[in-house]
Formats: sequence, structure tokens, C-alpha cells
Amino acid sequence: MLRHLFKLIWNKKGAHSLLIIEIWASFMVLFGVLSLIAYNLNNYLEPIGFEYKDVWVLDLSTNQDTVNLPEKSQRIMQRIISYPEVLSATRTSGNTPFSANQMSNSSSYNKVSVSHDFYVTDEDFSKTLDLPLRKGRWYEESDISAKFIPIVINKKMEDKLFANENPLGKLIKENDTLSYKIVGVVDKYKAKGEFMADNPALFKMIKKEDWDRNVLIKVKPGTDANFEARLVKDIAAMTDQWGIEVSYLTESRKNRQNLTVIPVVIFLVICGFLLTNVALGLFGILNLNIAKRKNEIGLRRAMGATEGNVTKQFLGEIWVLATFSLIIGLVFAIQFPLMHVFDLNSEIYITAILVSIAVIYIIVTLCAWLPSRQASLIHPALALHED
Amino acid sequence: MIRLQNVEKVYRTSTIETLALNNINLNVKKGEFVSIMGPSGCGKSTLLNIMGLLDEPSKGHIEIDGSKVDRYEDKELAQLRNKKLGFIFQSFHLINDLSVIDNVEIPLLYRSSSARQRRELAQEALEKVGLSNRMKHFPKQLSGGQKQRVAIARAIVGKPEIILADEPTGNLDSAMGNEILSILQKLNEDGATIVMVTHDDAMARRTHRLIRLFDGTQVL
Repeated sequence: MLRHLFKLIWNKKGAHSLLIIEIWASFMVLFGVLSLIAYNLNNYLEPIGFEYKDVWVLDLSTNQDTVNLPEKSQRIMQRIISYPEVLSATRTSGNTPFSANQMSNSSSYNKVSVSHDFYVTDEDFSKTLDLPLRKGRWYEESDISAKFIPIVINKKMEDKLFANENPLGKLIKENDTLSYKIVGVVDKYKAKGEFMADNPALFKMIKKEDWDRNVLIKVKPGTDANFEARLVKDIAAMTDQWGIEVSYLTESRKNRQNLTVIPVVIFLVICGFLLTNVALGLFGILNLNIAKRKNEIGLRRAMGATEGNVTKQFLGEIWVLATFSLIIGLVFAIQFPLMHVFDLNSEIYITAILVSIAVIYIIVTLCAWLPSRQASLIHPALALHED
Repeated sequence: MIRLQNVEKVYRTSTIETLALNNINLNVKKGEFVSIMGPSGCGKSTLLNIMGLLDEPSKGHIEIDGSKVDRYEDKELAQLRNKKLGFIFQSFHLINDLSVIDNVEIPLLYRSSSARQRRELAQEALEKVGLSNRMKHFPKQLSGGQKQRVAIARAIVGKPEIILADEPTGNLDSAMGNEILSILQKLNEDGATIVMVTHDDAMARRTHRLIRLFDGTQVL
């Protein structure tokens, strides 16, 4: 029977070409949207690697002030950690967690080069964000006088640069010039939040004399806006016309999530709209097709087809059509995992392909079910006498 | 072989009731070649459809080869049509998108037979009607007579005991019509029971028995 169906569809391929293109296009759009969802879901299921609750970001803007910035910065830090509400505080570069800022570079070891994000922080960064170490230690104040700048890398970077080698104590070069010494390895650090991929990351120590405008403050749970007001007031009193802003990582995380979720939802709605249109079109075409083929239905019933056989016949035809479309679609879609397009894990594309195939078969089945059932209920004697 | 007892068929709409067949009692014996004649609208095709289990009588009983089919379910009726009955229609009812041999194979799709068996049986049936050289052709490439021969091959491919032909020569010229009737006669000689609806007296005279209908009633 399967062979018969393939023959029937193949011999009518010209008439079905638009339908095949329509199903193919739906598959490709679905594959694109599902790849995006699978990518984000895959990222979402991996931990971000740090604790953001009760962490505030203090953004200090010096405006026109350029005098003794490191010294002022030191005094501000001492003041901050002196509050009983503060558990820990750390100076960091502008690419604070969940911010839109990104700092990237390329580092190499033994001729293997890796592009990575990098973060400039002080020794209290891991403590403030509760960033657990897999190997070694976080850099300390005493490391600053060492011959090589101490750094911590994440596991992803370790895997890319060292494979089976122990990275601790190894020197890596940034831009083939500066050498850094690895003192520790953390597991993950997804600074952009849950939806960020676990990219290679490198943390390097900020120098005492360097100025960076961001401070992360870990406060005690339940610390409220009164303390925030007091903190801002105190720091304002220590500085002249500096701009001071406080934001919460929990809030920044939500904003960051929305930046990812909203476009995905928009794509999903567009895709849903497209699939609904395709489904309605398919339903209409199948209804028309069945109306045109009443003689054939009557004939098949006369030749021994049961009602169930007629239903299966029409469902089978649409499955064969969908299969033709999907084979064409697969020729395109399979290139993505084979060629590692966008450097994504093959599993993401394979999952998207499999789910897209399933969705297409479900849609065509739903669209074909009612017309096929109606076809099976056509009275054979009447069908045979319709022209 | 086919027995109809007090068969009545009424077509009902919300306003009109039409008596298509009235108290038909008929017994077609095994190996008989029976023709049914009558004016248009007298119920010939309805009678053939009821004999072919494509339609149900409003009253009365039908027996096919000794089995009462009154209470048969769709599946059983379909099986009976597939195994015991072969149909030939005036307008051939060939599927234009399938080749001649694929058209002939259709009844075999609804029984358990392998692709190879189907092909062999279809080839054999086409040889019987003299169309073995047209197997790969499509219906649109055939003449009316050739199309009807394909339809006959399709009707006999499953080796049914009964062939029901609804005006098989109606769309053909007399030469082609004679040719088709000769094939049917040959099938009858080989053992098939044939019931044929026709408008043509000459054709009817070449069968064993003639049944005449008028306004749904058997008059002969």
C-alpha cells in the first residue's frame, strides 16, 4: 500500500508541487524557530554559576573629577565594607552580571587560540558572587607583585585550551603578548544570565591603582531601601559631584531575560500564525481534493476498501507528501549540524529537526483527519455516480 | 449465487419519497449471464448496486453465495466485495494518475498479497483482455475500448465469482461494444456469473436471461 501511495503522489507531483513547497517552507521556519528555542532552553538548563540574590551594583560616575581616583576608590571600598549590612564588596569592570557590556579577547596556549570574554575584578569577586572554584584558588592581593598577572579561567576555557592537561600554573598569552598565569578554574560564569551560552571566560586581577567605576555589593538578606539611601548619601558626601546609581542584580536579570524571551515569543507567534495559515490552506486543499475524487473513493469502496482503508488512504497520501517535503527540507537543515553553523552544538539542530518533523506530521495529520474521515463516509453508490 | 427476496429501495428526502425498487425477487444462479434492461430511471443501477453491496435495500434480504448479508458490518461487506465481486462501470472509473497495471492492481491492495503476487495477477488479467502491451501506459493514452478492457482486467484480477457490469458498452461504439461483450462471454464460459445492465437489446439477447424493470418493478 505504501508503494501505491508513493506512486500516486509521485505521478501527481506537478499538481502537488505548491503543497510540497508550502510544507517545506513551514518546516524550514519551524526548524529556525525551534533551533532558537532549543539553543536558549539548552542554555537555560545550565546553571549560571554564581549567586545574584542580594547583590547590588554600585555605578560610580566621576563626571569631571580626575584627581586621585584610585585613592578615592580605596576609601569608598573601605567605607562600603564597614557597614554591618554588607557581607562583601568587589570592584569590577563595566561588564557586570546581566549588563549589556561585553569585553572579549583572544588567548593562546601552545598555538591553540581561544576567543573569550574577560572580566577585570579584585580578589573579593568570587566571594561576593559566591563563585565556586573547581581547581586552584582565586587570586589574592599578594599575587599582584608576582612576575605574571594572575588569572582564573572557567572550565569551558580549560577544555578548549588544555584538553587533558592541568591548567594550574600554566602561562597563557593574550594577543600573543601579555602572559598570564592561571591560578584557578571556576565551573561556569554566564554573566549575561540563564540564556547565555557557557562561553570561555577569563578573570584577571585589577590593579590597586586602576580605576573601575563598578562595585558589586553583597548585602545581608532583607536589607532594604533605607540602607541604599544611606549608602548613596554617605558616598556622595565622600566625593564631589560624582554620580551614584544603585541597581539590583535580581532586577537586571529580569530585564536581561526579557531581552531574550521577548524576541523568541515574537518569532514563536509569527511561526504559529504561519503554521495556522498553512494548516487552514492544507485543510481547504484536502477538502477540495476529496470532493474532486469522489469517483475514486466510490471505486475503491467497490473494490473492497473499508471506511478505515479510505481514511488511511488520504492520511497516507498527506504523509507521503509531507515526507517528500521533509526530505527536501532535511537536505537544507542537516547542513547546520554538519557545518556547525553559528558554532552551536549539533544536538541543538538535531533536536530542532526531530521536533519540527514531529510537528509537521502532527499538523498534516490534524488537517487531513477530518477530510479523510468525511471521504470514508461518502456513500459508495453515490460517489460512483457523481461526475 | 445471488438471491434477492422482497427487495425494496426507497430514497427519502425531507419532502419527497421515491420508490426506486419495489418488491424485487431475483435468483441469479452460478455461471449465469443475466442482463437487466429498462428505461432510464427504472432502478437498474440501484438494483446492481444492491446486488454489489454498494447500497442497502430499505426492505428485503440479500444472499450472496448462500450467505445472508443483511447484518454484515462495513468490514465484512468490503471483504465480500473484494473477494466475490468484480465491478465494471460505464465510465470505466480508472485512476488517471496510475498506470494501467497499477489500476488493475487496486483490488489486490485490499487483501494480503505481496507486491510480486499483485504484479503477476495483474499481468495475467491484462493478458486475458489483450492489453499486456499497454501495462505502462496511462489511461489518458488509451482509447475507450482499451479503457474498458483495463476495467475488465481490474474486475477479474481478484478472480471473483460474480461480475457486475453497469452498462459496460454504453460509452463505446458498436464494434468496441461487441468486443467487450465477447470478453464478458468468454469470462462467463470460464465460470464467472455475470449480471449486466444494458440499454442495448442486441447485447441483452446474447446473455442467458433478461430481466426487465419498469418504474422499479420487475416486469420480466
